[in-house]
Amino acid sequence: MLNSDFLPGYLSQSENIEELPKQSDVVIIGGGLLGTALSYYLAKAGVEVTLLERNDLNREASGTNAGSFHFQIALHQLTENMTEADDKRLVDETKLMLDAAKLWDDIEKELNADLGVHFTGGFMVAETQEELQVLRDKQRIEEAAGLETHVMTGNEMREFAPYMAPDLSGIAFCPREGHANPLLVGPAYAYRAHELGTKIRTNCEVSRIEQITGNPGYRFKVHTNRGTILCNRVVNASGAWTAELSSQLGLNLPMGLSGLHVNVTEPREFFLSSMIQHIGRRLTLKQTANNTFIIGGGWPSREEKFPLRYSNIWESAAGNAAVAVRVLPMLKDVQLVRVWSGVWAYTNDFKPILGESEKIPGYHIAMVPTGFTLGPMVSRMLAEYMTQPGTQNLLPKEFHVDR
Amino acid sequence: MKTFDLVIIGGGPAGIAAAATAANHGLEVALIDERPTLGGQIYKRVGPGFKVKKASEVGKDYYLGEKLIAELDNSKVNIYFETLVATIENSEVVVIQNGKSAERLSFRKLLISPGAYDRPVVFPGWTLPGVITAGAAQSLVKTQRVAPGSRIFFAGSGPLALAFPAQLSGYGANIVGIIEAAPRPGILKSIRIALSVLGNFDLLRDAAKYQFHLISNRIPMNYRRIIVSANGKNRVESVTHARVDKNWRVIPGTEKTVDVDALCIGYGFFPSVELFRLLGCELGYEESRGGTVVKLDEWGATTVANVFGAGDGTGISGSYVAIARGRLAALKIAVELGKISESSLSKLAAGFRKTLNRRVRFQGAINNAYEIKSGIYGLANEKTIICRCESVTLESILPVLESTIDPSVVKAYTRCGMGMCQGRNCQRQISALIAEKAKISISQITQATPRFPTKPISLGQIADSTVSSEKYFIDAE
Repeated sequence: MLNSDFLPGYLSQSENIEELPKQSDVVIIGGGLLGTALSYYLAKAGVEVTLLERNDLNREASGTNAGSFHFQIALHQLTENMTEADDKRLVDETKLMLDAAKLWDDIEKELNADLGVHFTGGFMVAETQEELQVLRDKQRIEEAAGLETHVMTGNEMREFAPYMAPDLSGIAFCPREGHANPLLVGPAYAYRAHELGTKIRTNCEVSRIEQITGNPGYRFKVHTNRGTILCNRVVNASGAWTAELSSQLGLNLPMGLSGLHVNVTEPREFFLSSMIQHIGRRLTLKQTANNTFIIGGGWPSREEKFPLRYSNIWESAAGNAAVAVRVLPMLKDVQLVRVWSGVWAYTNDFKPILGESEKIPGYHIAMVPTGFTLGPMVSRMLAEYMTQPGTQNLLPKEFHVDR
Repeated sequence: MKTFDLVIIGGGPAGIAAAATAANHGLEVALIDERPTLGGQIYKRVGPGFKVKKASEVGKDYYLGEKLIAELDNSKVNIYFETLVATIENSEVVVIQNGKSAERLSFRKLLISPGAYDRPVVFPGWTLPGVITAGAAQSLVKTQRVAPGSRIFFAGSGPLALAFPAQLSGYGANIVGIIEAAPRPGILKSIRIALSVLGNFDLLRDAAKYQFHLISNRIPMNYRRIIVSANGKNRVESVTHARVDKNWRVIPGTEKTVDVDALCIGYGFFPSVELFRLLGCELGYEESRGGTVVKLDEWGATTVANVFGAGDGTGISGSYVAIARGRLAALKIAVELGKISESSLSKLAAGFRKTLNRRVRFQGAINNAYEIKSGIYGLANEKTIICRCESVTLESILPVLESTIDPSVVKAYTRCGMGMCQGRNCQRQISALIAEKAKISISQITQATPRFPTKPISLGQIADSTVSSEKYFIDAE
């Protein structure tokens, strides 16, 4: 099995400075996890693909998230007064997570690469009785969908996770959850896609997608800082910039952006093999293979205009640290070494936008709010759709581009 | 929250001078330093439990420092000792004082004078115990009166490469050798330095004194030689050095090895520009002043409103320039806050401006004479550790350089710069490797996005449970 040493060579400087191809069946815009994964699955099916990335691969949300697989139902999926329809929706959403879990099971074999994939389980903690009830409610739904979770309280909880604050009202544990190294997954897809013939061009920024006629086989002319490329199909996989680029074509996507704050601490002796989340407050927390703790959970950072990265807000560090120390008291004396910030793109209903526009045939979008967990799977779904034309029903209706 | 007219970060020569001057003109001043005493590196005080009877006997710097710090004695400057600056945002400095929780100091004007740190130099064996920077050795001597070893070798370049071993030897330490990478000052260079010397005779006299001390104590001093490796099993047992060409590239076959138990490395300094970067101040690149420097106007104002800089943290210029710069910035700030009139400014500043110009001339000549050369970045072999926090070797970095010129990408793939030193030890080396590979200037390499905290801080001190989190949950993955 290859290790991470292969990654830097996925793209040599010399190939990258080669000219842009004149044409390609598919042009993918965006070299994040979705773009690279899609290029791999398409190339594997024999499709001619060119992948364009304005910066380096995997540099935005795909490489700046914490690499967790979130399969448990989280607070953003719940509504105030849950109805039976909501229960049904949550069962469907959880089933999707299970499909993603199966993909992650096999991804290292598929790409023949060590990507740091581990299934070591995940916690969801509750501080209040009300939150504990939410854990019990969601456990029932997860069970119906086939996802194993266990709710524990009192001594059972303290024995199972002795390092956690003893006065938590309860914890849920999902053995299926885990993580992979986000710095490696996208580049590994790109590396294998490249082997299969995908042309990758970085430092190649798309300025305009032009719809053209009278050139059989080509419906679009994509304008970049490195010239133009004709193609039959375009996939917009530009993450946070998906809506911006789509608005050029008159599409108004139901999505928004948020900057996210992440903390990294000094290393400590390894003891925490499972990720921790909070059902009522903003927290994701885990100890990495490097023994550092990564702490996040949706605390905001400040927007900056590209190419600047979003900047960090002290209050986010302070608030996030408070929740982390509350749940895992030993963190009190652990030093924060670094923070970073990624931009996170969400959809208004938290569902992916995936598929081909009916208004603009040939124009595809691949965008998913929980991008790391679901990214590879939705990319594979889109690749299946794109290699079997006329099969729109391969993709769930609620993911529809023109919704 | 406390509000000050002026918050000063760093209690070295620049910060102390600025604080005293500003307080004299009626400003309410806070002076922050991470150490328990003032003075910075050059005027560092002795540690707890040590007593000094007569400052002038400890050394010239100690005496000058004592005089400068005494200016604060009757002033109303609020000194925050053992206080770290975590970040600066919204005209507030977030500080962490001596084990307590974070608090905010609000400022109308900010002066940043954090000083410099020793240039880390990467060569085989640089991470062995017994290999320390000249600055660390100096701290041992200044605060604890401890010599770093019993057979001490100095490798470095610049005026301090001479001065410090002479001082150390003066305390009775056994210096077994000194190497200087620059050539012995020739006629042209001597003339250039001499021309800049008008009014700087004291400094020239100091240099002569150090040189005389080394010669009279028969300490071997070799020019045009550079450190090649520190050798030893569990700690340094010997060092190898070699002759260099004018770019400090090692000339093979000229290696010599000396038995030592301590190696002090002093190839100049890096300005500590972290806070300036965090605030978005415009920076420049001047190799002779330590690389990344801060753009300042004649009064020390940065390109960010209400933020001033002074001292070696803005570009290496030495303590005399730092003091003058600190005072000039304080005067300008006093004018901007209406404490002194615009019309009296130039008169008040005249003396400091004159000193400044004189010292800048001298320091400029010195800095140019000892400018760092590219050979300093070429000492590592494939097995040499580049990032000591994460134990990343050169051979694991080289493949990444095939596909990127972005240090952030190198960091992401190799973990270089992710450790406790926050990249201070390895980032310039990484930039140099990229620059060499891509055949571009090191000044063109972009640096990683500036982020807080500027030093590691415990989560317990950062945590603030009063910060509200909205009730919806966004998934960060």
